[in-house]
Amino acid sequence: MSNSIKLFFRESWLLMVSAVFFGALLAVANAAWAPKIAQNEINKFSNLAKALLPEAMKFEPLQNKDKIIIDLGDGKTAGADVRKGLDAAGNCIGWAFLAEGSGFADKIKLVVTADAGFTKLNGFGVQQCSETPGFGDKITIKNGFYQAQYKQAPAGKFTLTKIGDSKKIDSEIVAITGATVTSQAVVNIMNTYVVQIKQQLQQKKLIGQ
Amino acid sequence: MTAWKAFRGGLWDEIPVLRLMLGLCPTMAVTTSVKGGLTMGLSVVFVLICSNVVVSMMRNLLKPHLRIMMFTLTIAAFVTIADMYLKAFQPVMSEKLGAYIPLIIVNCIIICRSEACAAKNGIWVSAVDGLAMGLGFTIVLCFLASIREILSTGCITFSETAVWTVLNPVDKGGWFTPWAAMAMPVGAFITLGLTLGAVNQLTKKKA
Repeated sequence: MSNSIKLFFRESWLLMVSAVFFGALLAVANAAWAPKIAQNEINKFSNLAKALLPEAMKFEPLQNKDKIIIDLGDGKTAGADVRKGLDAAGNCIGWAFLAEGSGFADKIKLVVTADAGFTKLNGFGVQQCSETPGFGDKITIKNGFYQAQYKQAPAGKFTLTKIGDSKKIDSEIVAITGATVTSQAVVNIMNTYVVQIKQQLQQKKLIGQ
Repeated sequence: MTAWKAFRGGLWDEIPVLRLMLGLCPTMAVTTSVKGGLTMGLSVVFVLICSNVVVSMMRNLLKPHLRIMMFTLTIAAFVTIADMYLKAFQPVMSEKLGAYIPLIIVNCIIICRSEACAAKNGIWVSAVDGLAMGLGFTIVLCFLASIREILSTGCITFSETAVWTVLNPVDKGGWFTPWAAMAMPVGAFITLGLTLGAVNQLTKKKA
């Protein structure tokens, strides 16, 4: 028994020492840069949300008791980062939240904003997207035809169509030519988050029925 | 192996993408823009130098059956550091490169250099080999990316304010209609294929 333990340590001591050394190295790097990484995420969220809700002076997270849980299907759930957009006087002038789902290449993360009553969307900004350049990444174009379709659109379920009038603001979204999968992914993300967040905000009496 | 031989090898004789045919996945994926290619290349330079130096330091202690595990552990640590650094200080590029920075862990160039050079040579030669291999990889990425970016957009974009317009594109009032295909995988295959053909032609030995 003791021989086998000795053999184990003799054969693997370098691996164990290296694992401890590299673990410590990563811990130091993480301690040094994690706050900066977190701040970058917050800044990006705030910048995107502020571009869509320019009157908002700050975005306040919901209290723990009002936490929104999203049902992602297949028994999976996730907490949604929903924030209240407040003006200088502290009045709620809109809502901003982070929504994410699978795209064509990788995960797509969107910052979506809605008006104070959560009746209409103010549009979305893209927090993370690795879609195909020249095609799927057209969802990132600010004020491009795809993003424009969500501005002032009713906060409810969306459907995707390949042919239609993209200038008509309704719940029918016209897909980007050559990027139907990405266009559908954004619609799916919206359908997963917008309806559930609206329902839960109504249940918690944070918005009207 | 001498340091000079290692240096020359990385930059021409054994230049990773064009002569060893290693690192082709990131080459295809990140060469849509010069900035992306440069960031990926410099990340690989950092990981190659650090992993080569560490592997060289522990070369006399390596047991044959733990060799690959030790290489992977070393490479993974430095890749994670590079990934965290980019997330902290280059968040836009980090998002643009997406999974390809963490995927440096499985980049064949790095594990190949650990095995072929660092595990058999001293620290100085291993560091020079890492630097040269990384620079060779970076140069090829930037070369391919510049061709693809120019043909797909008409210009090379370094930042929002620093844009070098090479072919005046139609959307800026010019004459050049950008080739969208060059930003797609087909553009990567065509550019890499033609470059490999040219390099093979240049280095073809006469009978």
